[in-house]
Amino acid sequence: MEDNSYRLIVAYFEKTISDEELTELREWIELYPGNQEQFWETMQILEASKSYFKKTDQVGTASWQRINAHIQKEEKSNVGRKIHWLAYAASILIIGSMSLWWYKHSSYKADTAVAYTEVINPEGQQSKILLPDSSVIYLAGGSKIKYRKNFSGNKRSVSLEGEAFFEVMHGKKPFMIQSGEIATVVLGTSFNVRAFASDHKVTVTVNSGKVGVMKTVRGKNHLIKYLTPNEQIEINTITGLYAFDTANAADVSAWIKNHFVFYDVPIREVMASLEHRYGVRIEFIEPEIGNSRVTAKFKNMPLKDVMDELMVLSGLTYIEKNGHIFIYSVNQKGGKIMN
Amino acid sequence: MYLQLTDEKLIGLLRKNDPLALETLFNRYYKQLCQFCAVYTKDYEAAEEIIADLFIKVWDGRHDTAILNIKNYLFISARNLSINYTQKKKDPVDSIEDISFQNHLFEDGSTPFRILSGRESVSGILRLIDTLPERQREILLMSRIDHIDKSKISEILGISIRTVETTLYQSIKELRRMLKDSTNLKSNS
Repeated sequence: MEDNSYRLIVAYFEKTISDEELTELREWIELYPGNQEQFWETMQILEASKSYFKKTDQVGTASWQRINAHIQKEEKSNVGRKIHWLAYAASILIIGSMSLWWYKHSSYKADTAVAYTEVINPEGQQSKILLPDSSVIYLAGGSKIKYRKNFSGNKRSVSLEGEAFFEVMHGKKPFMIQSGEIATVVLGTSFNVRAFASDHKVTVTVNSGKVGVMKTVRGKNHLIKYLTPNEQIEINTITGLYAFDTANAADVSAWIKNHFVFYDVPIREVMASLEHRYGVRIEFIEPEIGNSRVTAKFKNMPLKDVMDELMVLSGLTYIEKNGHIFIYSVNQKGGKIMN
Repeated sequence: MYLQLTDEKLIGLLRKNDPLALETLFNRYYKQLCQFCAVYTKDYEAAEEIIADLFIKVWDGRHDTAILNIKNYLFISARNLSINYTQKKKDPVDSIEDISFQNHLFEDGSTPFRILSGRESVSGILRLIDTLPERQREILLMSRIDHIDKSKISEILGISIRTVETTLYQSIKELRRMLKDSTNLKSNS
């Protein structure tokens, strides 16, 4: 209750207060003399804390000059450029030689009647798949893989929609996972690929070995990056932008043992993982509350326990209706749902 | 100018070596970032230096990394750099043992009455703010920067919006308590 009065005063100070709240605030102030005191003290504190920041209208001209000098210097320095181009040339060389290698080994023409094996997991069901070359795929709920029976052809090619963990046996043919326009190429490693269409992003995390991640543009593969263990790349499939980071690969693939490890992950993504794992629909009443981040570990826990724990961690609340979970912030309850 | 371009478009241009894209981002976020930084460094000049270095880093790294959300990236980097900075030059004034705010208040002749009323109050409160627990101080000050609201703070600090709110209210409560204590202390002596 005390928090509510602070909420109103802060809203008043920030001029974001609604008419109803303003009436509420007025009534609260008049209710009791101590309230007025609380109001003025809080206003003073907010005013004082705002004055912490220098009232400068200077736009950092000096700083910009320093940055600009750096840019100019770099453009003039030929040495710097050369090194840069050398690095570029080297990476093109690698891609070049790799794609050449593929051209030699892959036969695009032929086999019109190729038999495919397809495995589809409904939401809430996980499975472990043994491939013809003894590689193993752990396929998450709500995910699908498709591959050529017996891995005929010159590469071991698997297409993935959703999330899977791969343990690839060493082999002469490259193993390639295609998820939309993103291809992941390996010879023998273990790694996790998360590529749910609804996420609009593909995340590859490497546990062991070395993995090349490529983007397919007009049928041609362009190398984005090589990843080594505990490295992760996240590619936005709409903008094509990617972010490179380190991650604990064992945590990322913990789901294959029915464990979930989330380290500073937006609760929206946590819920998406739970949806696939437990086969439920989870919705946020207010989309923005999905941004808050949580860190949590669950081992083989029933959904209810997982949800209860997450709600405590995030300060949110949920209700369940016919296998459908709705998450909301306690603050915003009242009005909106009822109306 | 590229004023109307989105952050993502600007990052795209930046990757094509366009300095104007960097300048636009600079103009868009520089002031907020410096204020944000100053919460940690307690020194605006140092903050300006850190932020200028950060933009240089963004320029140098334009080919290696692509950032999904430049605004979050800038603020989170700014926070890390500022924390590193403060740890490097550990200011002895910050250690808890040294905090005896009553003395501070007496030193410059401010009386409790002046603290609760009149012009002395601002500097008195500012001094008290620096004695708050770090999280409370951080959130109280941060939420006073223009264009940084509680949802942004929750993203930068990686805590829920609700925690941002309750911590903010706690900081105000704590300050009110300290102000009261200093009043009582004076009238008893």
